[in-house]
Formats: sequence, C-alpha cells, structure tokens
Amino acid sequence: MTETVSPRRLRAIFALFACATLLLTLRVGYWQTLGRGELLESATDQVRSDLVLAAQRGVIRDRSGALLATTVPLRSLYAIPKRIGDHEARASASAKLAPLLGTTSDAVLAALESGAEWLYLRRRLPEDTSRAIESLAIPGLGFESEPKRLYPNDTIGAHVLGFVNDDGLGQYGIEGKYDPVLRGIPGRLVVERDPRDRDLAVGLRTARAPLDGADLDLTIDLVIQTSVERWLREAMQKEKATSGTAIVLDPRDGAVLALASYPTYDPAAVARSDPQALMDRAVSWTYEPGSTMKAFTIAAAIDQHVVTPNTTYDDKGYAIIGGRRLSNALGKAYGISTVTQILEHSANAGAVFVGQRLGAEQLRSYLLGFGFGAPTAIDVSAEATGDVRPLAEWYPVDLGTISFGQGIAVTPIQLAAAYAAIANGGTLYRPYVVATRRDADGEHRTAPVAVRRPITAETAATLRTMLTSTVDNGIANGASIPRFSVAGKTGTAQIPSDDGRYLDDAYVSSFAGFVPANDPRFVVVLVLERPESRLLGTVTAMNAFRGIALDALRTARVQPDRP
Amino acid sequence: MHTFLVVSAAIAFVFLVAMLYLAETTTVATRGYEAQRLVQQRDELRRQNSLLEVESARLDAPARIDAEAKKIGLVRVATIPVVQLEPITAKR
Repeated sequence: MTETVSPRRLRAIFALFACATLLLTLRVGYWQTLGRGELLESATDQVRSDLVLAAQRGVIRDRSGALLATTVPLRSLYAIPKRIGDHEARASASAKLAPLLGTTSDAVLAALESGAEWLYLRRRLPEDTSRAIESLAIPGLGFESEPKRLYPNDTIGAHVLGFVNDDGLGQYGIEGKYDPVLRGIPGRLVVERDPRDRDLAVGLRTARAPLDGADLDLTIDLVIQTSVERWLREAMQKEKATSGTAIVLDPRDGAVLALASYPTYDPAAVARSDPQALMDRAVSWTYEPGSTMKAFTIAAAIDQHVVTPNTTYDDKGYAIIGGRRLSNALGKAYGISTVTQILEHSANAGAVFVGQRLGAEQLRSYLLGFGFGAPTAIDVSAEATGDVRPLAEWYPVDLGTISFGQGIAVTPIQLAAAYAAIANGGTLYRPYVVATRRDADGEHRTAPVAVRRPITAETAATLRTMLTSTVDNGIANGASIPRFSVAGKTGTAQIPSDDGRYLDDAYVSSFAGFVPANDPRFVVVLVLERPESRLLGTVTAMNAFRGIALDALRTARVQPDRP
Repeated sequence: MHTFLVVSAAIAFVFLVAMLYLAETTTVATRGYEAQRLVQQRDELRRQNSLLEVESARLDAPARIDAEAKKIGLVRVATIPVVQLEPITAKR
C-alpha cells in the first residue's frame, strides 16, 4: 500500500518554499544593492578603529633651560576581575598588590569584587611601581598609558607655573594663561585592525598628525626662585604670618626672575591642597601697602617741582588734614626735617606735608601713572586690579592717608613694577614671565613693553639717592648689604576690617627695594600678612630681602659697587 | 596545440600575477607590523627619555642640592671675596 501526499498539501509546501525563496532573494538583493553601504559599514566597523592622537603638551623651562614642567605618559593599572580567577586568586592578587599600591589588601579586594567587569586600580603609577607590578605577572591585570604633567622641582614655582587638571586643562599661572598654546591640537587615526588588535598597513587608513603644543622658556631663574621661596618660607615661619609673597624683577625690562606665594601647594597633587593655597598672592591679592607708597608721593612732588630732597618742614609727630589728626608711628616727632628724612624716618606727617604740596589731583594722576589701579597685564592668570578710587570719592583726609599708603589697594606685582620704574630711570615696564615660545613656526621672543614714563630720569635718579639714604641712614638699615648700595623702603600698613575701620592688632609688613642702587639689577618686593611681631614685621621682611638680594647678586655674579 | 599553449600561458601569467600580488600584500602587511613595532619601541624610548630627563631635573634641583648640602654639614658662605681686576692689570 502506497501512501500518497495530497496535491493540496504539495501545493502548500511548494508555495511555502516559493515564498521563502522569494523573500530570501529579495533580502539578498536588498543587501547587494540598496543596503550594500550599510552592510559594508557594519563589516568595516568590526575591524576599524578611530583613534584620537593626543598632542604632546609643551614643555616649560626656566631662563637657563632647567626643566620646570613636562608631560610624560605614565602607566595606569587596570583589572578585569573575571580573568584573575576565583575569590582565592583575587585575595592572593590583592595581597601582592596592596604594598605596592600603598593601600590595604582589603581595599584592593573590595575593588576587585565590586562587580565591575573592568576597573582602574590606580592611575598614572610611578615607573618603578608599574614595573614591580608587571613583574608579578598576575593574569587579568593590564596597563594603559595616560599623560601626566610632572614638575621636577615639586612646590618650587608652583604659583607661577599653575597646574594641569585631570581633564588636561591648564589652570592658574602659566599653565592657565598659556593653555591654548601649550595644549596643541590632537590628531586622528582611522585604521583597520587585525584580530590581534594590530594596525593593518593595507586597507583603509586615514591619518592627521597631532600638532604638539609650544614649548615655553620663562624669565624665571630657578636658582633665584628657590632662594626666594626659602627666604619667604623662613620669614613666614618666624612670623607665623597668615600669608606672604615675594617677587624679584629685572628693572631693565620688567622680566620676572622669581615670584613666590605662601601658603603654597604641589602642582602635581593639587587635589590634596588647601584651595586657599592656590591663590597667587603676588598678582591676585590686593592690600593697603602703607609706607612703601611714600616713595611715589615724594617722586610725584619732586617731578612736579613742589618739593626738593632738601625742602624742610616742622615734624610735630602728627598732621591735621580734613579735620582728622594723622600721626607718625608711635607718635614720634622729628622736628625740622627734610623730605629725604621723611623717607629715612618713614614719617606719616611728612608724607601728608608733601601730599598737601602736591594736591589730590596730581597725587592720583601720578599713582595711575605708576600703574596702580589697573592690571599690569603680566602674563599669568587671575591678575587683580587694585583700587585707586575716583577723585570724587576722596574725602579731604584721603589726600593725607593715601600719601602714606592707606586708603589705596595695590597688588605686590604693581608695587614691584612701580619700584622698577624708579630703579630704571623712570620707565614703567609691563612685567612678563614668558621669554620665548617655540612651536612649529619657530621661535618667538617676547619683546619688553615700555608702558609709559611716569617720572623723568632726573626724578628717578633723585629718588634712587633718597631711597639709598633710607637704607644707609634710616629706618631701612636692616636691608643693607656690605659692599653693595641698596635702595628701599619699609611698609607697615593697617588692615581694614569689614566695617570699614582698621584692625587694632593686625598689620601687613613689607619691604620694597632694589640692588645695586647705583645700577639696579634686581627689584625685590616682599610682603607678610599679619606677622606675629606686628610693627616689627618689617625687620623680618628686611632680613628676607637682604637674603634674597644677596643670593640674586651672587647668582648673577654682580660685582660689589662699594669698597 | 597553439591555442592550448596560449591559454596555458595566460593562465600561468594570471597565476603568477596573483601570486605576486599576494606576496606583495603579505610583505606590506608584515612590514606594517614591523613598522608598528618600531613606532611602539620609539614611543617607549621617548617615554623613558622623558622620565630620565625628569629624574635628571629632580637631581639638579637647587632645593634638593641645598638640602643634601645641609645634611653633610655644609653651610652657606657669609661673604664672597671679589678680586678687583683693575689693580691686577695695572701691575702688569
């Protein structure tokens, strides 16, 4: 007996196959025609890699070529916990890794058993640590290269350099100001890869090379910078001051040779730093300068021929102006005194006398001329402006107080630039930190910028003589250096409180000066906020000035100008 | 016979060209791997060079030298005598 399939069933099966064949043909036809591009794209995606080629961040060096900041790829340790093995294997791996990573084995084990399929155990390891881990040959561990900004001098020059954050962006200082220049432009590489993840030389390949960032040579002298930070730190520790700053300028062109701020931080480990320490007090902090400003009041008056160094007045220990009595420090009276002796004694009453001879309008005009009340345009981030109030806001007493540096706010860098103008013969230069920029187009040198001449060369020479006498015969004698002529002025300023009055027991002590006074090579400004010895904080400031100036003179091999 | 030879030669030629192409492609791929290995080697040497430069800068740092000098008992010189050149040249 033969079983037969009914023709109806046969037709149904045939129709089914015919439909399936038709659908398959249409689908294949689609992929070969309309969908061909999409199919090819999907196939290529499996073997193609599209990589961003990181540009090398520029190197920063000091004026002698000493390395200050560079970027080096360091190895980051990652783990694929499943490949390490079971709990026992992970515990064993954790015990081996913990001492090398400087943590506990429990912490490493917890990371490995967190459930993540892939995780970083530690990023940007020191080279010797990564080698030690590599030698353990633990399965499931691997390394990836990540760029790390390194600062071989640790905290030295932290504020002038700034730092680079985890996203590779420069912050503060030179790193912040010159970030677009230093960063460069990333490139791109599209290439097909083989099953072992190696680039294929044949096949699809497009590449755009990265453009590396420019290298910068600074005006900073690492030896002087180190000396400045050492003397500033010692002064800060001795006085238990809340903050401090020190600047060394070359008065001949405004080049910044050293710039330090305290408290400081490690630019390679910013996350562990106090946020307050990030502030560069040399350029971002304003304060009432006190008696260091008397030099500018007298310079203006001499320039306007309203006084000479030998003009006399009767110092009673105080001056009355605008119905207010402004006294000398400790109320001391000096009797008949010359204008030179105003600086030698740091007499407030004398400064008021000179200010009255000059007049408010002229005083304010000269202060603006010396660069106060406006940014110096120094090439580091976050410069403050300072404050020289409009004349309409001056009370009559302000002419007196501003004559001796109260009621006006300046930045230490403004003060240094203004003293440099006295030192160099009357030209105000823009302070600058980047001396040379080197990129693919070649070397670009920064030309010094002479902003203006606030005083004549004759006035500047007269002031140099008067400030030298202040050190030789006056209140600033603590700043004298054997066999070198030194010019300078102390400053002790009261600190305004939130209610507009001055604090009774807190001061800002400072010293501003230059050496050798006869042919100035270095302007040094040092400021201490709230020194423990209060009015005697200038003694510490002068001592630090002397140390910094002597180190700078030795470094530059400047010969003594006195027998 | 003639036709057979021509066809055989053509087949042999095509075969040879195909073999040459394959050999060339293989060589390019191999050289590509070699170039990639050399690039990696170059990058690693550059990295090591950068690390050595950083280490050198650390060792040359004035702050480190100052600290080391203190450790071995050296003190900063108080005054540096300077010999004036003029009197010496005048005596000659």
